[in-house]
Amino acid sequence: MLVMNNINKTFQTGNIQTHALNNFNLTVNEGDFVSVTGPSGSGKTTFLNIAGLLETYTSGEFTLDGKDVGQLNDNGRSRMRNEKIGFVFQGFNLIPDLNLFDNVDVPLRYRGFDAKERRRRIEENLERVGLASRMKHLPSQLSGGQQQRVAIARALATEPRFLLADEPTGNLDSQMAQGVMTLLEEINQQGTTIIMVTHDLELAMRASRTIQVKDGRVSELDVVAEKVSA
Amino acid sequence: MFNYYLRLARISILKHWGLSLLMILAIGLGIGATMTTVTVNYLMSANPIPHKSEQLYYVQLDSWDVNDPFDEGQNPPDQLTYTDSTNLMKAKKAFRQNVQAQAYAVIEPNDPEILPMIVNARANSADFFAMFDVPFIYGNAWSNQADDNKELVVVLNKETNEKIFGGKNSVGESIRIDGNVFQVVGVIDHWQPKPRFYDITTGAFNETEEIFVPFNLIAEEKVRRSGNTNCWKPSGDGFEAFLASECIWTQFWVELKTEQDKDDYLNFLNAYVEEQKQYGRFLRPIDNRLSTVTQWLENQEVVADDARMMMTMSFMFLVVCLLNTVGLLLAKFLGKAPEIGLRQALGASKSTLFFQYIIEAGCIGIAGGLLGLFFAFWGLIGIETLYGDYMQNLATLDFNMMLLAIAISFFATIIAGIYPTWRACKVQPSHQLKSQ
Repeated sequence: MLVMNNINKTFQTGNIQTHALNNFNLTVNEGDFVSVTGPSGSGKTTFLNIAGLLETYTSGEFTLDGKDVGQLNDNGRSRMRNEKIGFVFQGFNLIPDLNLFDNVDVPLRYRGFDAKERRRRIEENLERVGLASRMKHLPSQLSGGQQQRVAIARALATEPRFLLADEPTGNLDSQMAQGVMTLLEEINQQGTTIIMVTHDLELAMRASRTIQVKDGRVSELDVVAEKVSA
Repeated sequence: MFNYYLRLARISILKHWGLSLLMILAIGLGIGATMTTVTVNYLMSANPIPHKSEQLYYVQLDSWDVNDPFDEGQNPPDQLTYTDSTNLMKAKKAFRQNVQAQAYAVIEPNDPEILPMIVNARANSADFFAMFDVPFIYGNAWSNQADDNKELVVVLNKETNEKIFGGKNSVGESIRIDGNVFQVVGVIDHWQPKPRFYDITTGAFNETEEIFVPFNLIAEEKVRRSGNTNCWKPSGDGFEAFLASECIWTQFWVELKTEQDKDDYLNFLNAYVEEQKQYGRFLRPIDNRLSTVTQWLENQEVVADDARMMMTMSFMFLVVCLLNTVGLLLAKFLGKAPEIGLRQALGASKSTLFFQYIIEAGCIGIAGGLLGLFFAFWGLIGIETLYGDYMQNLATLDFNMMLLAIAISFFATIIAGIYPTWRACKVQPSHQLKSQ
């Protein structure tokens, strides 16, 4: 479903070249819950940005749902992001000027659903994350955990095949983090493939599969071994 | 999506109201200054009678001093002598012809309750009304026979008819003008060509006259002429001598249907001048001219050079205002980079985002345009106050000008918004999402 073969990503800053991903290989199957760990600067977020079509790669092959991502133009990438990928960010990334209803509405607008269908999906997903009664509230009126739930509702509203989460619990206290994690597990059990970047090994271990990124490469076996010994 | 973008624009404008207000103010000032000068120029340069301006010709004959040519020889005199005007009228060589001069009169209303009033008058021939498409409410123009017979007839304008007759149909009624009893033959509707092309010599933007009387009554001294009079040699003593003099104070218009008619009429004028030379007149080389309405307005420089310069400067001011708006839009849109990055992540393409933010720029432009109209309105009032009566009929914003103001403002802001929007849409979403 998501296949990356020898993906390289190089950043050029002046005369300095930084290899963020170095022959990165990964296959993620439908229904997987993959957690991605690794030290800061190892390339986790770069991998997630490339997987989410937010960044291009320097070389290699990347197919998503059978489509060669390298062949897509800006419109094609936007359409694929909208149709197949949901994002959950560490900083929630809600639009502060819009209420919860309108925040969840954003990706549905770009999909082109009619008003009735949009309303159904918004209400259904806010209900799912337990915030249906607050849909007219602004993000600033919610706690961090609630904001992250809204972000998840927004990500799920388009019924994506993949949910990409970048440190989704990074800004939350442990109780809120547990709540969000439980929600992600439920979502995964309902069939959505999840790739989650996290520093928290305890949360990472709750995923069905854990990989470690180190120096821009995948070192899956180390972490699996650690998981087994634990 | 368009309505959605409009809603987002409204939210954004209200949320960042200070910045938005600055932009609207900058555009409003630019549009206000521009529309003030454009309106004045537009009305100055408008074709006041577009459907027949190419068939109406102003007649010029060079009867001036051979030793001191009129306008340094660049143009023949801008008016005709009484002798020439009346000769051309008698010849009746054109489809329609009109001799005219400005006049004034004192009306003594029949109603003793109404005080006598001094009115501006136009002394003209019967064809004046048909040539210039003057609209009548009641009655008609007087006939050519009335001209020839020097009948005491008068056409009133609507306002004068209201003052004297309470607005009723006064055709057939009598009024006393300068001690003589005139019969009302017609009442015209409001008529204010801009510019008042038929007599530039007494002001292209003055109001039309309150009453119209036959030109031939001037010679009978039943009507007192006024307006500009220029002489290049003494006119002699007495009114008869003045009428026979080389002083110019009449204007002469002809209506000619075709180019052939025009050529024929010019030939006639040349033959007339040749004939007059035999009497010792027209000592300068023949320089007879027939100018269409637009040519005549241009020749008389109705659109003043300083008005054109002011318009150019106001457009430059608008450009400065727009450059300021570019800077403010850039600051605003780059401040929205995180939202733009997020929207990209959620499926918006660059073109979609571009459209969204251009619509926001357009909304600011329309708001600026409306404010600009308000400024233009006060600007025109200021010009009217500054220049007085001369500008009275120019300092008005008509519907076309209002539409133009909104259109200029909208498109100018769209253009001003292109670069900031393009820059904003160039943001790398991954960087913005991480930095939020």
